[in-house]
Amino acid sequence: MDVGTFAGPFLPEIFLLAGALLIFLLDVLNVRRNELVGAIAVAGILLALVFVVADLGFAPLAALATIPSGQIDVVPTGTPLYTFTSLGLVFQGIFLSAALLVSLASLSRPSNERGASIFYGLLLIATLGMVLVAIASDLIFLLLAIEVSSIATYLLVAYTRRDPRSLEAAMKFYIIGALSTVLSFFGASLLYGAYGTTNLVAIAAARGAVGFPVLILLGYGFLIAGLAFKATLVPFHAWAVDVYDGAPTDVTSFLAGGSKKVGIFAFFLVFLAPVLFVRTAAAGVPFTTGSVALGPVLQITLSVIAVLTMTLGNVLALLQKEMKRMLAYSSISQAGYMLIGIAVGTSPALAGATLQVFAHVFMKGGAFLVVAGVTALGVGPLIEDYRGLGVRKPLLGLAFGLMLLSLAGVPLTIGFVSKFVLFSAAVEAKGYFVWLAVAGLLNSALSVFYYARVLKVMFFDQPAPRAGPVGAIVGGSEPARLPVGGLGYGRAAAIALAVIVILAFGVYPQLILGPIQSAAQHFVSVGL
Amino acid sequence: MSFPLISLVLATLLAGTVATFAAGRFARWVALGTSIAFLAEVALLLLAFPGWPGYSSAAIPGFAESETYAWIRLSWMHIDYAVGVDGISLVFILLTAILQIATVVYSWGEEQRPGAYFGLVLLTCLGCFGVFVALDVLLFFLFWEAVLVPMFFLIGFWGGPNRRYAALKFFVYTHVASIVMLVGLLALVFYSGASSFDFSSIYAAARGLGPVTQTFLFLALFFGFGVKFPIVPFHTWLPDAHVEAPTGGSVLLAGLLLKLGGYGLIRWAVEVLPSGLHTAQPILYFVAFLSIIWGSVLSLSQRDLKRLVAYSSINHMGIVLLAIALDSSLGLLAAVLLMFAHGIVSGLLFMTAGSVHHTYGTRDIASLGGITPRTPALSTMIMVGSLASLGLPALISFPAEFTALLATWNGLAYWVFIPLGILVVTAGFYIWMMQRVLFGPPKGIPLEAHEVPWYEGVGMGLLVVLTVLFGILPSLLVNVIVSSPVKGFPGT
Repeated sequence: MDVGTFAGPFLPEIFLLAGALLIFLLDVLNVRRNELVGAIAVAGILLALVFVVADLGFAPLAALATIPSGQIDVVPTGTPLYTFTSLGLVFQGIFLSAALLVSLASLSRPSNERGASIFYGLLLIATLGMVLVAIASDLIFLLLAIEVSSIATYLLVAYTRRDPRSLEAAMKFYIIGALSTVLSFFGASLLYGAYGTTNLVAIAAARGAVGFPVLILLGYGFLIAGLAFKATLVPFHAWAVDVYDGAPTDVTSFLAGGSKKVGIFAFFLVFLAPVLFVRTAAAGVPFTTGSVALGPVLQITLSVIAVLTMTLGNVLALLQKEMKRMLAYSSISQAGYMLIGIAVGTSPALAGATLQVFAHVFMKGGAFLVVAGVTALGVGPLIEDYRGLGVRKPLLGLAFGLMLLSLAGVPLTIGFVSKFVLFSAAVEAKGYFVWLAVAGLLNSALSVFYYARVLKVMFFDQPAPRAGPVGAIVGGSEPARLPVGGLGYGRAAAIALAVIVILAFGVYPQLILGPIQSAAQHFVSVGL
Repeated sequence: MSFPLISLVLATLLAGTVATFAAGRFARWVALGTSIAFLAEVALLLLAFPGWPGYSSAAIPGFAESETYAWIRLSWMHIDYAVGVDGISLVFILLTAILQIATVVYSWGEEQRPGAYFGLVLLTCLGCFGVFVALDVLLFFLFWEAVLVPMFFLIGFWGGPNRRYAALKFFVYTHVASIVMLVGLLALVFYSGASSFDFSSIYAAARGLGPVTQTFLFLALFFGFGVKFPIVPFHTWLPDAHVEAPTGGSVLLAGLLLKLGGYGLIRWAVEVLPSGLHTAQPILYFVAFLSIIWGSVLSLSQRDLKRLVAYSSINHMGIVLLAIALDSSLGLLAAVLLMFAHGIVSGLLFMTAGSVHHTYGTRDIASLGGITPRTPALSTMIMVGSLASLGLPALISFPAEFTALLATWNGLAYWVFIPLGILVVTAGFYIWMMQRVLFGPPKGIPLEAHEVPWYEGVGMGLLVVLTVLFGILPSLLVNVIVSSPVKGFPGT
């Protein structure tokens, strides 16, 4: 096998790594031009994204596809560390989109600001780890890839090294992250004890035929706990709010929009096989632990976690006074919706959850980018501080409003489509999953209130009397005036991109649903 | 018919709504223009319909005018942009067009943010029109929800002193109900194994459902649609919403929004789940009689003109539910006729209540008296509305209520005396109200009170004319309704 054949499928990873190394090299050489570093990062991510989309079979880019057709969506032979699946590629695209949004927005930073190289380099490394997660087919490979992205994100939270809140958040993030890693690896080791392998393909092939029911149950239990930390699921969610709140807001956008979806995809990877084998029991031996079928137990556990996560996230979001904390809790509740996908475990449900993950990048990631921009304009952290923003900055207000409406699941936005597909998939699966859909719908109804409250504050409340002009930061120097309403071109472009995606796929979702659906079908049929 | 007339109507309403929001001071003119265009297009729809000469071919069986474009195509989910009209929906569309133009004219003097006000009025009517033409579950749900939001704002911004509470209650009640409705519709699609979310395929597939499944689905849909009716005991949002809503909002609420529940029940539950209806019939009868009696008893004790009309709406919609529950073609005809009549008449009554409030500063029945000499035109309209509401022959409600009672007699024999007796009670109360407010000794009349402004008069006058017209010529509507190929109607 020559190098080209081997390296071809890994072009996205190579671009990310090369970009990161180049950025660090420039930093060592004392080239600290923020525009240049940012451009390298954006270019690396864009190139990676292009190849991922080409590999997904997007016709205009077909010539660039590098994964041979025989290597994608087929049941792997042996016990490989990685496998290419369409759904994995879709998730790679999702992770890269989140990174693209954040790196685009960060182009707006003042060119003399310190730390840009570290920020972009770590962002690329974190993305690299996430992209590797999406092709994992071995528990150890999966957990190591998560580790790569996690360590980069711990550092990202604290990259400014000045703000004590960021440092505290990073510390908390690091300790909790280490705990979650320990739990996950312990779970994996228990499964190794039962199955004699950590390979997901081999585990799926062995099914329940190995005995050791207690080991298997405990192993999956620890894996649920460890991965639930990553995906911010109740009751392992508490860290997320403080970290999202304390991190620099652009980094929060990346954490909420991109990094936590790693946990969701890991849930897909690890739990699909056991969940799936009960749904297609006729085709093979059901996945059992001794006499107990494992699938229903997992499905009920995941369903309960999903309902708890949605409900608790929503209820707590209702009570928040600060914008970032409100968005953080809403982010937790959205993770609950996504978990419905794997709890139901059918290909429509997986497709719905994947679309929900995709939508969340642009709705929540975009919303945090707006918050970061607005904060730089001198607006305070409280929801009350956004009074009259929709009147003072109508375009920005409308964009933010659209993102919130999409999060609330209002029709003709992508947030509605993803929830509609997800909940109808739950109804389609019949049984008690119908109640999962009811719980999800009631939760969306509940969430309307706190999103609508922000809209009311932005558009209907009178602006507070201001001490200084917009753009002044109390106790600081006048920030550099940026074009496009004080946001800068980069951030404006990122926000515009998010708005376009929310609207375009909201009105005509077929464009994105088609590929996701076939990816989910292949994923289920591979049954990794 | 190849010409996409229904989409054209939707586009007209959408463009008109957007333009109205943007038009500021000229909003009322834009709204009026949109309403006239809408009415003209509805007239075209009527002309191209079997009840009238010039009938054309149909793409979806049973729907004379229909358009279908692919929207979302997944292996397990086919969603189309599918719209169409049959006789039943056409009657409701006509009602929408009439009430829209009447409301716009009646509210001509609205000074508080006219752009937003008229825009929201048009948006409500757009949503209602969409509900009446949608033939796809998702599209239906989109429009159904689209009605909710503008009405919420109409009540919440232009309403009375307690408007925030009323708007929130309206929103919570109807939103929770529509969630149940959505789950019911989705379950209908997936449990029946329909090949798409399209009405015709659901209609065909639902025949294969067992009676137990049908009953559960029917009850879920009945709850979802019933709260909009509103059925007792989920009716309490209605009086609050009506009392606090601005007059235009009340007219649309009673005239159109309540009809959404009835239309939805007929279209998506009664037609589709016949044995579900059959099993659930006792429940429907019980709820219907409860609504009839409860609405009428409570309307007896009301002092506020608007509350009086609101509770009598519950009573009337109870009769509609009874007529639907009868599961006969005559009952269905009666239900549709009743809803049309109630739309016109309650719209008229809410307008008169609003005008009384503007002119005399109160809607309290007890503190008003002998207003006829001061405002003869307004009194005449109140009289026409009240007489129509109590079912005087030659006015619009009479043929509807007569058909309903006849159908009840056919289906339930002596039970007919419950709605009949209640009708007498309501009639008595309306007459008593007229006697006190219109003819008694003058009371509570401010010196500066004078006849209503021209636009309010024109708005109410339009509805008065239609009350009389359709009272004398109910066949205009009946011919259209019975052209629908459902429930043993002769069809076309």
